[in-house]
Amino acid sequence: MGVLSTSIKPNFLGLLKFLNSFNWFIVFFSLINLSVCIYEDQIGKFDWRQTYVGRIKFSQFDTVSTAKKIIVATEENVLAALNLKTGQVVWRHVLESASTGNIQLLHVTDKVVTVSGANPYLVRGWDSTTGVLLWEWSLMLQKDDHAEFSEWWVQHGMLVHMLPVFGSHLEVSMYNLMTGQNRGSTSKLPAIWTNEGCVLSPPYYSCISGSMGSLLLLSLDVTSNAVQIISKPLSQFISTEESSLRPLDANSIQPGFVIGDKKIVLIKNNEFEMLGISVADESASVALVDSTNGPMVLQTWTDDIKGFSLIAHSASTGKEVTEVRCSDPSLRLPEPELAAVICSKTPRELHACRLLVTAADDSLHLMQQAGRVLWTREEALANVVAVEFVDLPVSDLDAAIESEFDQKEAAKMYSSVWAAFSRRLQTQFQQLQTLLQSLQGAETNARDTSTGLVRDYFNLHKIIVLVTDVGKIFGMDNLSGAILWQHYEPSLDPSGAAVFTRRSARHPPHDAYLTIVGKHEETGNGLIISLNPIRGTLVGERSLQLDVQLLQCALLHRADQEKLHALLLLDRDENVQIFPVSAAPLVENMFIYVAEKNTARVQGYALKYDGRSVVAQKTWSLSLGGSEAGHRIVASSAKPASERTHSAGRVLGDRSVLYKYTNPNLVLFVTEGPDAIHKDVVVATCVDAVSGAVIASAAVRRARALPLAVHSDNFLAYVYYNDKHRRTEIGTMELYEGKQRWLEAGAAFSSLRASRAPAVYRAAYVLPAAPRAAAVTHTERSLTDKHVLFALSTGAIVELPWAYLEPRRPVTPTPEHREEGLIPYAPELPLPAEAVINYNRTLHRVSAIYTAPSGLESTSLVLATGLDLFYTRVAPSKTFDLLKDDFDYYLITLVLGALLLATYSTKYFASRKMLKMAWK
Amino acid sequence: MSQVKTNKKFKWALDFNQKNKVSSGELPSPPGYNQSANANYTETSKDTDSNLLLIKKLWDVALGPLKQVPMNLFIMYMAGNSISIFPIMMVGMLIVRPVKALFTTQSTFKIVEGTQAAGQKFVYFIGNIVNILLALYKCQSMGLLPTHSSDWLAFEEPQTRVEHIGGGLSLL
Repeated sequence: MGVLSTSIKPNFLGLLKFLNSFNWFIVFFSLINLSVCIYEDQIGKFDWRQTYVGRIKFSQFDTVSTAKKIIVATEENVLAALNLKTGQVVWRHVLESASTGNIQLLHVTDKVVTVSGANPYLVRGWDSTTGVLLWEWSLMLQKDDHAEFSEWWVQHGMLVHMLPVFGSHLEVSMYNLMTGQNRGSTSKLPAIWTNEGCVLSPPYYSCISGSMGSLLLLSLDVTSNAVQIISKPLSQFISTEESSLRPLDANSIQPGFVIGDKKIVLIKNNEFEMLGISVADESASVALVDSTNGPMVLQTWTDDIKGFSLIAHSASTGKEVTEVRCSDPSLRLPEPELAAVICSKTPRELHACRLLVTAADDSLHLMQQAGRVLWTREEALANVVAVEFVDLPVSDLDAAIESEFDQKEAAKMYSSVWAAFSRRLQTQFQQLQTLLQSLQGAETNARDTSTGLVRDYFNLHKIIVLVTDVGKIFGMDNLSGAILWQHYEPSLDPSGAAVFTRRSARHPPHDAYLTIVGKHEETGNGLIISLNPIRGTLVGERSLQLDVQLLQCALLHRADQEKLHALLLLDRDENVQIFPVSAAPLVENMFIYVAEKNTARVQGYALKYDGRSVVAQKTWSLSLGGSEAGHRIVASSAKPASERTHSAGRVLGDRSVLYKYTNPNLVLFVTEGPDAIHKDVVVATCVDAVSGAVIASAAVRRARALPLAVHSDNFLAYVYYNDKHRRTEIGTMELYEGKQRWLEAGAAFSSLRASRAPAVYRAAYVLPAAPRAAAVTHTERSLTDKHVLFALSTGAIVELPWAYLEPRRPVTPTPEHREEGLIPYAPELPLPAEAVINYNRTLHRVSAIYTAPSGLESTSLVLATGLDLFYTRVAPSKTFDLLKDDFDYYLITLVLGALLLATYSTKYFASRKMLKMAWK
Repeated sequence: MSQVKTNKKFKWALDFNQKNKVSSGELPSPPGYNQSANANYTETSKDTDSNLLLIKKLWDVALGPLKQVPMNLFIMYMAGNSISIFPIMMVGMLIVRPVKALFTTQSTFKIVEGTQAAGQKFVYFIGNIVNILLALYKCQSMGLLPTHSSDWLAFEEPQTRVEHIGGGLSLL
């Protein structure tokens, strides 16, 4: 600004001064170019979005409308229509994530009807082709004591609600489906024989009841006017005493159930009818579907040896239908379940079935008869817990060149100049060979996945490893979003899981090595899964279950001879385990901190190698809530381990330097707790995790913290909800050493020798939106500007330059501030529409944003997880190290060629002219 | 015909091709012209006057850079301290001209060898140095000289660390 005001001639200066006094920062905002948005033809070029619906709860084929669809309702409270041919989402409604959005019933006829919520229940009708809401009415129960056992179904255009009170009675109410008119209020059916093991197969409610030895199988049509209980001794059906009931899956056409995982019983004309078909496997999912030759019983299960199995029998004759039979050892579906089945009539009298199968790993498969999978949806990706970006290995040739120029390696291998020279020639010959091969093979195999997985020049191509809530681990190509490998670990409880890249793919003879530290689902003991992130195969420790619960884990900073970083595990008895054990002598200057979420206590341990093993010594302990009880940690944020800041300070307006305080061991804790005067307080504390020293802190009164905190370089930010003003605010802090360096440039920072406290700048801003996730961009050398990414509840991801969040923004700007480029303080942060990096691709329920550096200093890779996955790349300081996307290569080639041609032709003409002149 | 012409002497004819050439070197001197005095005068003044002139001229050259100083000061004042194309061009000229002049000192003073040559060269040198200093002062006031620590910030080594940490919220 200062530059501008003096360079513009005095005429303009007056105008500018007027503007300054009038509304100074309008001019400034126009100068700061926020154009992070993309052009229309760039849509989908650097980014992709994958939409998911979550684990399927209810599903039904929509056969009425012309475009064949599957309507699904999920555990994530999503109602969606999937294209039958491709599995793509046709339309989707994301309901509230709390119990108010919980879908209780899905009924598909020509309209889609759902019952959602919990007292009041909302009954909604949707158009099945467009997903438009057609009608809605609500329903309030008088008593909601047992409401969680409610059963809903639709019968003859009436919505039936049944509320069982076990051991007493059943309350049945019927409503007009469209209007909600109650036909005959609520009827109470006495049923003292009911218990928790009862199942509903509309309209029958069936139980096993009675005393031991004389168990009865009882069923009741709850909708009929006359109360008629069907009762038969259980011994007629099954010999064992211990037995349970299980309803048939996949919207079976007749009421029926499975007894004791062995026998299938249908209810026909108020009579039990046992089918001659026995259940093939205890875990088999059984469904009764309509087909051309009468009802058909389908069963599917996964056998340890035979893999996925599917068999079908005719219900009336008990004969097996062989066309449908399938046994595929290669297909691994853990605990498959038939979600919906449809068998249509074809002219050739074949069984053309479509089976929607869900599995325990949350995957959804559409199969046809004989087990051919038409499409698969990995719904586990709707619940991603941890993400790691992994570099791809360099190609063999590049690896050879790298090892050639690696000093240490070279010294070992080539003692003489001649050896090095011959090696050079060899490598160049190889290069020539690959060039020729690539020219030849360009037509034949354009895309080969095995050779395609090599690092590109800018290291923009990576593999994203995603750990999902259900315990399934995915490897995903970041450029296309394609799933490269998957590994299902049923016993993994990944809450709080940590993912470490223990060896990158940079060390050619060794493969990349990634470790996931989680918990065992049942015992809570530590569970370690080590795999090759490029191929998805288990390596090293493989899947290792520890016999003790873990407190924390860390990665050793020093690599062993195989370039593998050891994994340090601190268990609840404060013992240390190290993998591999041989790396124990490398442990030095290593510290681990453990924060307890609910008590707001943080403890620090120093790890030491005592000659035999690694021991942990508790060195410090800190109570973040002070003496007051009730404080809890809402968010904690340490610096990314790979961060190396190459910009040591800020240049001020007078061209002096304000040096940054970049303590690599700094951890930000955001706590909240009750306060005697101010109701709630939010405290942000910066703790040095090595020494336990509190470096800086800030407290906000009458506020509640949101679990969002970012921390990078020398700045940190945390988000809280201000109860007083009822708005979301963001508190920011910056730490500076001052105008003098404490240490020499390039010196090693030691927390234990630091005696001075940094200068802390603090500010707060109003965030005019509701953020759900926050992250800060991350580049290789931290030279580019930092931008903070906020995922908003509106479904947008907004990129906000740190310059707006900076606490040094002056209230009354001086010329020096302007020279430095500080924006004057304004309480409200601008969130312009151009700053939305996912443009019109709305993202529902974003849970986290992950960033990773690329090989380009300007570019940072971004992945947002939640119900949807969204990947893009951002360039906070513009792509200064890359030609523009629309750079006209043809024009520049054309111009160069034309110039060359012109040069040579003029040379020719000039020589001809000289010759003529000489003859004159 | 020619015989006739040559033989016949016309009354009005004038012959330009006279055979007998009269030597024209011996013309009388104009009145008041003293040959000896003239020769004497030129001999003496040529030596002293032209030398003096040359010295005077060379002093002019030698003092030229110093005389430019007030002009340069005025130009510098007019150019202002902002960084845009014209001030930069002016500052560039201010630096380049004296430097060029310094390199061509030898050729500028080639003609002269005398008692004052050393002094002249020295003054010329000083003048150019003054001009360079002025230009550098201008650069300094425009902020073009890398004299602040901030100018060398990009070349500094990044900080390394002694201790390493790991951990987070308790997994229990």
